[in-house]
Amino acid sequence: MRLLRLIVAALAVTALARSGFHAQELSTLPNRPDSLKFAAIGDNGTGDQPEYDVANQMERWHRRFPFDMVIMLGDNLYGSQRAADFVQKFERPYMPLLAAGVKFYASLGNHDKTSNDTYQPFNMGGERYYTYTRGNVRFLVLDSNYLDPRQLAWLESALRDAREAWKIAYFHHPIYSDGGRHGSEIELRVKLEPLFVKFGVNVVYSGHDHIYERLKPQKGIYYFVSGAAGELRKGALKRSINTAAGFDQDRSFMLNEIAGDDLFFQAISRTGETVDAGVIHRESQP
Amino acid sequence: MTRAWTLALEYYLLLPLGGVIALIWANTAGDGYFRVAQALAFAVNDIGLAFGLAYVAQEVIEATLPGGAFHPWRRAILPVIAGAGGTIGAVAVYITYIHTADELVLRQGWPIACGADIFLCLALGRIVFRRGVAISFLMLVAIVGDVVGLAAISRHRLAATVHPGAGGLIIAAIAISIALRQSRVIRSTWPYLSLAGPLAWLGCYWAGVHPALSLLPIVPFFSRSARSLDEFAPSRGAHGAAGHFESTFAYPVQGVAFFFGLVNAGVLLHGFDTGTWAVLAASLAGRPLGILAAVLLAVTSGVAPPRDIGWRDLIVIAFAASPGVAFSLFLASAVFPDGPLLVETRVGAIATIAGAPLALAAARLLRVGRFVDRRATQPVQTPLMDGRA
Repeated sequence: MRLLRLIVAALAVTALARSGFHAQELSTLPNRPDSLKFAAIGDNGTGDQPEYDVANQMERWHRRFPFDMVIMLGDNLYGSQRAADFVQKFERPYMPLLAAGVKFYASLGNHDKTSNDTYQPFNMGGERYYTYTRGNVRFLVLDSNYLDPRQLAWLESALRDAREAWKIAYFHHPIYSDGGRHGSEIELRVKLEPLFVKFGVNVVYSGHDHIYERLKPQKGIYYFVSGAAGELRKGALKRSINTAAGFDQDRSFMLNEIAGDDLFFQAISRTGETVDAGVIHRESQP
Repeated sequence: MTRAWTLALEYYLLLPLGGVIALIWANTAGDGYFRVAQALAFAVNDIGLAFGLAYVAQEVIEATLPGGAFHPWRRAILPVIAGAGGTIGAVAVYITYIHTADELVLRQGWPIACGADIFLCLALGRIVFRRGVAISFLMLVAIVGDVVGLAAISRHRLAATVHPGAGGLIIAAIAISIALRQSRVIRSTWPYLSLAGPLAWLGCYWAGVHPALSLLPIVPFFSRSARSLDEFAPSRGAHGAAGHFESTFAYPVQGVAFFFGLVNAGVLLHGFDTGTWAVLAASLAGRPLGILAAVLLAVTSGVAPPRDIGWRDLIVIAFAASPGVAFSLFLASAVFPDGPLLVETRVGAIATIAGAPLALAAARLLRVGRFVDRRATQPVQTPLMDGRA
């Protein structure tokens, strides 16, 4: 009986492969009409071919999974940052998405000029840290380059005032990471984590390490590192007991969908393979 | 044990001791270390360090008194020029590096490149030259960089707003100090510190000036005696009198030095990045080259060189002035908030300790100071300017 099952499964896989169906390209996202859908990219702004490849892949997925915003996890532009660079390193690669009305919300990385907060397509409103709301989700965008007391006070106030069910923070430097080049920014963690825990932040996205990593929940908070949408440090993921999943063999980006108390996520490589997927269930506050 | 303790106090070894403890702690139990360090940071960097910098300022002021290392003032011209050149060189290399590496967020960290660790400079000076004018020269070169760095951070302070009464408090502190000085009755430092000190500290704090600088406006009014900078800080002779600041604070400042190392030197060793290399290149390449270029320019322009210092000495001095360690750590913590930029520049500040072996190697190679070849029949020293040395 067991042998029969194996034979049937093998025949089914062979048939699917012959039909041109790629199992990895399957979306694990429910793609509900009333959900919040967004992509996440980090360390993307090289202006080189891999950034364009990732952008093209995002555009392909956008046709099936119409996300209406992209959160940018910093290092949005590398190298020179003149007007022509904004075209080559941002506007051209993401032109189809921009044309489709997708909005980008940037955070600043260590390679970004602070003055980039006034670049309109980044939607930062001239602020290096800011907050915005989409449905029942509060996004908090931080400048991890300069986490000065004023920004911390602002964050505490913004979190205290947030009434949304979901609280998502994103910024460039990861406070948890197993990236071999940078790793966890512990000094930032000591400042930020108590606020995140106190005010019930659910998910945190960062970049800086040029890999994809999903960490096991830390004090009830889910952390993602997604810093390979342009740059890549191949083989840099040094898995630890905190690593839930990771990918460091090619560029990648993330798709996310929030529906009710669930956040579905899917990490996708430059070639369109799904390298990680899952769902985070939010425990409703009493 | 007593001898080791004396040596530790004489060479300010409690500072590196605190630093070593911090480094080990941060890299083995980072969360715990950073919680403690961040909790202590204000008390150490904003209050305790005010006494440390007052201590240094007292030394410099005393060196300008009749009989001091820099009296008359003309004797200080060349070292000041050398110090200015070294500072310009260091800052130029720092800025160039971060532009080349395309990390402009580090641009405001340029004051870190100015820092020169005067305690390490003194130790190196004593090891190589034992005593004499070369050490005073080296000390002033280092102090010039630190003064520029301190002036710069008073602009970079991350204070939110400037309180309108801040300037008035600082002026009141100076006025009280003048009154105490003119009374001629009070010999003790305590009335200055207890009456004028808090006003000056609060004034600086409200003005957005780093509070560690707060005692500097009142130091010139303390009791003082002339001194040579080659025996920096020990409270011997007139300096050991009860009313002298350096006598009263000889031991407390050692405590401040220990805690300063403990709070500021704890960095994650994997935290190196562009800021690390920028600080390192600025200190080890920019400053020595700047010092040598500035002296060359000054001497060829007619500034009188000191009699007992030749080019070989100067090369060693240039390298001995390169470690920024403690001062660069302080300047970094004043410029950047806790976070990655602070971490990477702090790693660079600690790495500038590499200037010490470079200075010793240069001294040995060039046969300078204690490495002079006593068997040589010809003098090995090259004067800064022919016929004038």
